[in-house]
Amino acid sequence: MSYYPKKLAAIISLFENLAESERRETLISYADQAKNHEPKEGEVFDFEDFRKDEECTDSVGIYLRMDENQKYYFKIKLGPHVQTLTRAMSSILCKGLHGITSEELQSIQQDFVPKIVGAELIRARSQTVYYLLTRLKTASQVWEKRLLRHATQ
Amino acid sequence: MISNYIHPGALVSTQWVADHLDDPSFCIVESNEDILLYDTGHLPGAVHIDWRRDLQDGLVRDYIQTKDFAALCSRHGITPETTVVFYGDKSNWWSCYALWVFRLFGHTKVKVMNGGRDKWIAEGRPLVRDIPEKKSVNYPIPSKRLDNEIRAFFENTLVHSHQKRPLIDVRSPGEFSGEITHMPDYPQEGVLRGGHIPGAHSVPWKRAVNEDGTFKSAEELRKIYQEELGLQLEDDLIAYCRIGERSSHTWFVLTYLLGFSHVRNYDGSWTEWGNRVGAPIEK
Repeated sequence: MSYYPKKLAAIISLFENLAESERRETLISYADQAKNHEPKEGEVFDFEDFRKDEECTDSVGIYLRMDENQKYYFKIKLGPHVQTLTRAMSSILCKGLHGITSEELQSIQQDFVPKIVGAELIRARSQTVYYLLTRLKTASQVWEKRLLRHATQ
Repeated sequence: MISNYIHPGALVSTQWVADHLDDPSFCIVESNEDILLYDTGHLPGAVHIDWRRDLQDGLVRDYIQTKDFAALCSRHGITPETTVVFYGDKSNWWSCYALWVFRLFGHTKVKVMNGGRDKWIAEGRPLVRDIPEKKSVNYPIPSKRLDNEIRAFFENTLVHSHQKRPLIDVRSPGEFSGEITHMPDYPQEGVLRGGHIPGAHSVPWKRAVNEDGTFKSAEELRKIYQEELGLQLEDDLIAYCRIGERSSHTWFVLTYLLGFSHVRNYDGSWTEWGNRVGAPIEK
């Protein structure tokens, strides 16, 4: 059985109990909040990775901060052409992974995505919803390698 | 300016749509690639038709059957006399696709809103989130699907290629050359070989539109398809892309705006051809 951090588990549980129409409404509500999870002007992060990959519709920026207890906080900036579902998932991940540890983050399986989105809405052209989690994991790995390198120098 | 097209009534402006929002003889249909976009806001009174859930069979790679089409229309208050006005995202790819599927079932009263959803929004026109309550009607089950008339299958396309009849590949130049096996800015949709159908001409769909997603003038379109490619209005043409949506856009241009009389959309497109064992490929 897959493990999910507490906040993400609560979001998954909420979606699993929604009827299809309510699921869509809730996803729209999360998509509407995506702007709130973008980095604010002047905000400082430990690591930033903003890029547009060849197979993505638009750019995705990952911004992470690690606190003194080694817990992560993420912000995500999306280009204007990113689809609604991806915008919803960026809000969900920023909320659901708030204060997560590195071990927790790396252990999250992608199988939570259809639990939230529903199989009906996952299509070949909405794969970015999976891609976001990969980008968050990669960002934390790169940041941790930098920390380690710095510590051993 | 919408003029000089062979069937000018098939293309309407955003202002025209705004003036007809309350006209019961019309049904405004939004069809998008972004599956939640309609839910974020749509034209007042517009209904949503999802290209996959509503138009495609859930099991077999094919379109719905005639009875399902009748049920879909009935649910949305569409009768054979209703003029359906399509619009959507992505420069109207999916609205043209939905329009083509409606034609596949013999529904003739169809129009596209020029510039699609983006133009409507850019002009500051209103969007609403209310789902319109359409009075259910009884759309008679069409006697057949026009698979032989406006749709091409693999076998038809293979014969077409062997006979060196005109084939139009509307994908990007990189996909046509086989340099990439996915659409630029899109994920890989599962294709094993890159390239194009032997003998196909490369005319990316995008050449038919302006920066704002509106269709180019009839003169500009004629220059591309008739002067550059040398196509004749009576030619037997097949257009294709990856899954049939971009080629629906070109099908609309050729059929409605330029008046070609025999254009078929090969909806199996490259995701079928590029995976098919033994299918000939050119690079």
